[in-house]
Amino acid sequence: MPQTLSELSTTQLKTRLETENLQLIDVRSADAFNGWRSNGEIRGGHIPGATSLPAKWSSYLDWLDIVRSKSIAPEKPVVVYGSDERETEVVARLFERAGYANVDLYHQFVREWTTDEGLPMARLERYRHLVSARWLNTLLTTGNADEYDNSRFAVCHAHYQNRRAYEEGHIPGAVDVDTNSLESTETWNRRSPGELKQVLEDLGITHDTTVILYGRFSFPDNADPFPGSSAGQLAAFRCAFILLYAGVQDVRILNGGLQSWTDAGFAVSTEDSPRQPVNDFGAAIPAHPEFAVDLPEARAILRSADQNLVSVRSWREFIGEASGYNYIEKKGRIPGAVFGNCGSDAYHMENYRNPDHTSRAYPEIEAFWREVGVTPDKLNAFYCGTGWRASEAFFSAWLMGWPRIAVYDGGWFEWSNDETNPIETGIPQ
Amino acid sequence: MKATPMTLDEIQDEIIEDFRRFRDGMEKYEYIIALGREHPGMDDRWKTDEHSVPGCQATVWLRSERWDGRLHFWADSDSLINKGILALLLRVFNDQPPREIADVDVYFIRKIGLSSQLSPTRKNGLAIIVREIQRQGRRWAKESRGI
Repeated sequence: MPQTLSELSTTQLKTRLETENLQLIDVRSADAFNGWRSNGEIRGGHIPGATSLPAKWSSYLDWLDIVRSKSIAPEKPVVVYGSDERETEVVARLFERAGYANVDLYHQFVREWTTDEGLPMARLERYRHLVSARWLNTLLTTGNADEYDNSRFAVCHAHYQNRRAYEEGHIPGAVDVDTNSLESTETWNRRSPGELKQVLEDLGITHDTTVILYGRFSFPDNADPFPGSSAGQLAAFRCAFILLYAGVQDVRILNGGLQSWTDAGFAVSTEDSPRQPVNDFGAAIPAHPEFAVDLPEARAILRSADQNLVSVRSWREFIGEASGYNYIEKKGRIPGAVFGNCGSDAYHMENYRNPDHTSRAYPEIEAFWREVGVTPDKLNAFYCGTGWRASEAFFSAWLMGWPRIAVYDGGWFEWSNDETNPIETGIPQ
Repeated sequence: MKATPMTLDEIQDEIIEDFRRFRDGMEKYEYIIALGREHPGMDDRWKTDEHSVPGCQATVWLRSERWDGRLHFWADSDSLINKGILALLLRVFNDQPPREIADVDVYFIRKIGLSSQLSPTRKNGLAIIVREIQRQGRRWAKESRGI
């Protein structure tokens, strides 16, 4: 028989947080956790130390696997909070059913916690740049939305050589952007400032346009000649990085990509949206040259004590068991690089994503970076094979407001093509 | 005398029937985890790059051999839920003719709710494993025609 879950008062929660090793679970959306005030919160964000476990995930059959992956231990007390009492209770009951012995509810988060300036709140510094499907729908249908103070916006469906994905269903009003237009198909590096200017103007993007990017994930298959064509959300992060480098001032990512849009029940369109080219981007490109580093800087970073070259690759690539790509032969890593674990392979980012493709809660990313010495006091240049995964890691750090970050654009492709560069394999000492 | 082996569709229907007894996702999860615990897995010497299935969140190994015109699979994973899913898939695909493995519509996954109830990441892993099993079916089917 289900026990009656007890409800904690704000004072009780405060005391228990101070005196016990509580596991605090936030069941609101990933976006609310990050800082969006969409459920009546006076202050956005979450209670510091809380684990993000959106109620949406409780419908997944493998929910308990997700819980375990977040190291939420059955023997320690759990307190579940949210903005909707019913939702909060559903998740709390699931914990009970899964054998968690000590589960309580906290229903005063919106009414009391977010309204009391004396109580701590934490949020993702640039949460405005990771938007929800609901936010985007509001912007598209009304021309306005919270935390948007502009008169120009463009929604871009990012892909790699896969216009068909756009044609099969995109967010109404979105134009498609092929990563090949922003990166060279020879080096896979960002294109020249002149080329970028032309492409952005053709897309109707000026330096002061709010640009919202998203992609479609469709089961990348390493046996395909072009697996990147199915890794659309990664393509969106790649474009976001290049747009930030170029100088677009307000770049945003739809959290979770097209999956979040359809999960929220919004319709897709199969009609091409007309492009509205502009005459002038309006600023010198690149506005942020420091965001991209190349081979000489990468070598210098390796020699510097307070700088990291972060390998956003899979373990098998890192130890030299796989090159990761059908067009890269050499296997191994850049000696001295730290392991920034992407997930399973070159086209998956499980370690930076939630199970529904939304971006993983930033405290979790921060925690695994900290373990390998990737901290905000250092300069961190992220690399992967050709810059996609590195761009997603870069964007994560940018959202956190880290001051010295970059993408080593050439990555393993460039490094391993230069015979003079050393290569390391095996498990690092 | 050997009994006539069940067809792929007969096994799929049997699994769909089995799953009717579960009231919700948690019960299905517990069942799949129990299958994972019972699944014999694979000898460690086969857990090599050659047999690993790329793109799955947890490592998955899969290998097949043809015996008497049918394919026999071995599969393993370092995640219990994956092992359970592999056990279910092998119940369907094991010891079936390669051409049928390659061509079958794998409808039981949809009917027992795995497509709609698994998290998108896990669903990605499942799609990759099914694709790999059917690819191995195609490869063996070609070889048996001497192509």
